[in-house]
Amino acid sequence: MKFDVVIVGAGPAGLAAAYKLASAGFKVVVLERGREPGAKELYGGRIYAYWLDKYLPEFRKDAPVDRWVRRERVSFLTEDKALTIETAVVEKEKTSFVVPLVSFVSWMAKLAQNAGAKIVTETPVDILVKDEKGRITGVQSGPDVLQADYVVDAEGVNRLLLERAGIVKKLEPELVAVGVKEVLKFENKKTLEERLGLGEDEGLAWAIAGYPTEYLPGGGFIYTYKDALALGVVVYMRNWEKLKTPVYDLAEKLRLHPYMAPLVKGASLQEYGGHMTPVAGINMAPPRFYYDGLLIAGDAAGFLLHTGVLIRGVDFAVASGVLAAEAIKEARSPSAEDLAVYEKKLRSSFILPQLEKFRKADRLLSDESLFRDLALLSTEAAYSYFNIDENHRTLFEAVREASKKTSISLVKLMINMIKMVRNL
Amino acid sequence: MKIVALTKAAVPLSSAIRIDPKTGTLVREGVPLTSNAWDRDAVEFALKLKDKYGGEVIALSMAPPSGIPALESLIGMGVDRAILASDRVFAGADTWATAHVLAKTIEKYVPDYDLVVAGEETIDSTTAHIGAQTASWLGVPYVYYVYDAEIKGRTLIARRFLEDEGVDEVFEVEMPAVISVLKGSQVPREVRLSRKLNAREYIQIVSNKELGLEPDCVGLRGSPTVVAGMAPATYPPRKKVVIQGEPAEVVKKLVEILKQEGVL
Amino acid sequence: MSLKYFTIEERLNANAWDVDVHRPHIKIVDPEQCRKCEKKPCTFMCPAKCYVQQGDYVVLSTEACVECGTCRVVCPHGNIDWNYPRSGMGIWYRFT
Repeated sequence: MKFDVVIVGAGPAGLAAAYKLASAGFKVVVLERGREPGAKELYGGRIYAYWLDKYLPEFRKDAPVDRWVRRERVSFLTEDKALTIETAVVEKEKTSFVVPLVSFVSWMAKLAQNAGAKIVTETPVDILVKDEKGRITGVQSGPDVLQADYVVDAEGVNRLLLERAGIVKKLEPELVAVGVKEVLKFENKKTLEERLGLGEDEGLAWAIAGYPTEYLPGGGFIYTYKDALALGVVVYMRNWEKLKTPVYDLAEKLRLHPYMAPLVKGASLQEYGGHMTPVAGINMAPPRFYYDGLLIAGDAAGFLLHTGVLIRGVDFAVASGVLAAEAIKEARSPSAEDLAVYEKKLRSSFILPQLEKFRKADRLLSDESLFRDLALLSTEAAYSYFNIDENHRTLFEAVREASKKTSISLVKLMINMIKMVRNL
Repeated sequence: MKIVALTKAAVPLSSAIRIDPKTGTLVREGVPLTSNAWDRDAVEFALKLKDKYGGEVIALSMAPPSGIPALESLIGMGVDRAILASDRVFAGADTWATAHVLAKTIEKYVPDYDLVVAGEETIDSTTAHIGAQTASWLGVPYVYYVYDAEIKGRTLIARRFLEDEGVDEVFEVEMPAVISVLKGSQVPREVRLSRKLNAREYIQIVSNKELGLEPDCVGLRGSPTVVAGMAPATYPPRKKVVIQGEPAEVVKKLVEILKQEGVL
Repeated sequence: MSLKYFTIEERLNANAWDVDVHRPHIKIVDPEQCRKCEKKPCTFMCPAKCYVQQGDYVVLSTEACVECGTCRVVCPHGNIDWNYPRSGMGIWYRFT
């Protein structure tokens, strides 16, 4: 049996491509290794709406949304202190939302199926099949080969297929982070709202730097589902030797921190998981995004933006899937020459320009002193400023005192801060 | 050789089954369903017989339409086709009423069956009733805990192992017959892309309109079993001794301790 | 405020799995290599604690693997033969 397009992976990228291609009349099959779309997928918890409006506006109609984010919290957290900044909007803005990824992709799967795409689950793909000229002509799963004019590789961060095809090298610890996550369920949504100080149905996205990663690059996060919250930690893999807590205890350690524990008290653990995430952005990209018969989308292509506080994966994945579909629609043949239009589209979209813009982010975020210094100094300075004893300090005095106490050079921190505001 | 494999969409092999402390019933939220792990042993058993003697393997399940993916999975393994008996009046059935529907479906849709195979038990109800009760409804012999079999003419030579007695038994029964397959005795084959691709096309759904069973004999009304209550199990106290060191030393120490305890 | 600490085993128990007991999807290629491996990053970095040091060796149990791929990336010796489970087996996320 032959298909026009075989898509590897029923994630946001693969399903977006499947939906658009099936809608245009292509014979499309998506191969997914999980029992259902989303069964093997894990993310932090938030999806940005701006680019979805352009690439997949259907989501406004009936995609599942647990909570629209109206509060953004950022905390610097140490063993015994915290400094939290919060921005909130009173107007009911709808710019980003929290929902279990499995719910969102199962919505996308239905969209693709209704458009005529076939989704085959329980089917891991082992190899991208090449002909004698090196063109990709299909995929192989176990002993079975499926031929197709085009293959869209949306296999995710592990990208075993690209590695086996000789397109990329084995993943290095420098390119990825590992994330762990607990889903904590409250008795009802009202309890969750009261604990986190949220209005009815109000969503919260919370990034926590310092303590969660033991001051190493990465960070903690909290996102609010309907009656549960996602609590997790992402830590850059390259620094693993300095980590004192094993990765399997990182999320639990954050949950038990005295600043967090009162918020999650009584919530029961619904699920625990771990996943890798690309953090090197454009630096993780394969040499090209198109080859004879092949397009690469989503995490496998490194299409994820990580700037320390903000992480965007789903909007990049969906948009790249849509662009891959457009490229196939426009290509006269599956030759790399004709598929080069995909890269053009990536360049004229937000994807490559934004990844390019943050090219230095992963280097900068890997600078340990930034995470450590900023977290320790800011929490200490805030504490000094608000703590009235015989001395009532000016803000400057508080900062200077904190600098002395933590032995963190203000000049060095200032230089780092300038780098940070320019690049993140 | 026509083999019917009975199967149920059950919870995965390892999953948190929680009982709601307030209502005393199973928490169903977020509990996914797939083909019962021990039924996959039975399916593998049937497929091996088919490989050897030829014929057809037909999976049979009684479930709401949410049971379809579990059947697709078995077709992915190599089952030729599947029948899903699905009707609102079947809801709430205990094993007796379920076996009734299964037997009647076999009689109507696979009247020339040679063998019915069932898993040893389901992973989420563990009654191990269905095989025996189906045999009873069909009026044919039943052998359970089977791990191997061969066929000579119309005779099934089934081997079964009784763990407690440490006895290996051989039974000869005239087909048609029903057997249940010792769990863990088979290595279920992998789901294949070529089979999975169009799996849905090989599933036939039959309702009670076609089966025409007495409403008093199916579903909740046809079920004599009453679930009086459910409670979470508590673990018996354990000594929890951790022995550390080189594997060889650890084993020595373990044997010593077991001897002291009178286990060995 | 003190909450109960849940061990990784207790946390993993909240999940759903369909375990392929016959076919572990990850294998250690050469156990001797692990014995010689000084830092054994797998025992520290695996989010599910699938790798445990016993004596000088590393023991791998794949039953509770979340299929993230971290071990393959951090293993300094390329000593892990890593694949996805077949037939939809393995972790089954429902809430993440």
